[in-house]
Amino acid sequence: MPPSERRFSAIGAPWRIDTEEPLDDAGFERVLALVEEFDRAYSRFRDDSLVARLARDGGTVDFPEDAEPMFALYAALYRATDGALTPLVGASLEQLGYDPAYRLTPRWPALPSPAWDDRLRVEGSRVTAAEPVLLDVGAAGKGALVDLVSAELRAVGVGGATVDASGDLLHTAPEPLRVALEHPYDSSLAIGVVEVSGAICASAANRRAWADGLHHVLDGRTGLPVREVAATWVLSETALEADGLATALFLTDPERLLGDFDFRWVRMFTDGSADYSDDLPGEVFAA
Amino acid sequence: MTDRSMPRTLRSSRTALVSLAGVGLLGTLAGCAGGAEAEESGTGSSTGADSAGARSYADGTYEADGSYRSPGGQQTVTVSITLADDTVTAVTVTPHATDPNAKQFQGQFAGAIADQVVGRDIDSLNVSRVAGSSLTSSGFNDAVEQIKADAAE
Repeated sequence: MPPSERRFSAIGAPWRIDTEEPLDDAGFERVLALVEEFDRAYSRFRDDSLVARLARDGGTVDFPEDAEPMFALYAALYRATDGALTPLVGASLEQLGYDPAYRLTPRWPALPSPAWDDRLRVEGSRVTAAEPVLLDVGAAGKGALVDLVSAELRAVGVGGATVDASGDLLHTAPEPLRVALEHPYDSSLAIGVVEVSGAICASAANRRAWADGLHHVLDGRTGLPVREVAATWVLSETALEADGLATALFLTDPERLLGDFDFRWVRMFTDGSADYSDDLPGEVFAA
Repeated sequence: MTDRSMPRTLRSSRTALVSLAGVGLLGTLAGCAGGAEAEESGTGSSTGADSAGARSYADGTYEADGSYRSPGGQQTVTVSITLADDTVTAVTVTPHATDPNAKQFQGQFAGAIADQVVGRDIDSLNVSRVAGSSLTSSGFNDAVEQIKADAAE
């Protein structure tokens, strides 16, 4: 058991950080400040965020410099999924009721997300939108923040760490971490187990679901929730990449992504079947 | 999988059809997909938004060549599907890999298949962590509970 454990709540999820060296209060304060800065930039649930400003006024917004890899990943996954995975899914989510007021009552018909090229110009971490536009970084944002927190821990001198943001995890200690793959329909069960060095991110439709068939993983081309895939897991070097790819596997097949990214994966379908990497460092329990 | 040139028989129609959508055969097989979805018993993800009507297909085995774009170039596969009572009962995918690079990608595409996963008690697994969907904030959960309460009235 690592000698230091810190728990807190951020961007709508419980977090836990385990470090091999104790994380002192000053170091922990820096982590919390980083998390707060991220929330103030990207949250679509608070009206003082940069995302809220872009949604209200449009124009040019300079996100923090470390946004560049996240926006670059979004661009790559937008291409690989033919527009199904998009940061412009915010309006589609709100149409289905997943809005800051937690209205959770859908308006019909579903609203497809606008096309990237029509609405958005991204240069590094600078985003320009001629018209107001609602971004949603739910597909990769938490993974991005996990990487940033892990880097901050290194900066304050506590290298070997497990940053677990509930569903997105980066493990930088030398010994691999044994991780269960939670069954999407029964959280007391696992459908497999893997050994993790680096990042593992899980995506599932079960918890952020609010009505019959309505959950938060949408296909931007239709504005409707994905029905075929129940849960995905991706092991990769960074949590940013693992998080984005886990969402992308709801929307496209692994072979569309394996040329551009180095990752291992498990995908479970709503009929109870699954497919997974030949070289998965672990096991999927099958009948 | 040791021999990537061997045809693979995928007994799970759902898995196979989802994969087929990725190899560019969706247009040809869209009717089958609709039929399969009609067969799907909801395990928690059904939606009332599907507008696919009932269709009927003659029983038998159908075969088609399909292609998809991989990072190694354009690739082709032969897909054989057996239909019985509008349900896909067997699917065989035979890749036609033309160069080592493409073969590699098609091997990765095939991956490994579990026809039916089995849940095991997490407490019995001796793991340090569980990777599942994000736990959600209390605001979200409270709102869902409220909606359920309203619906029950």
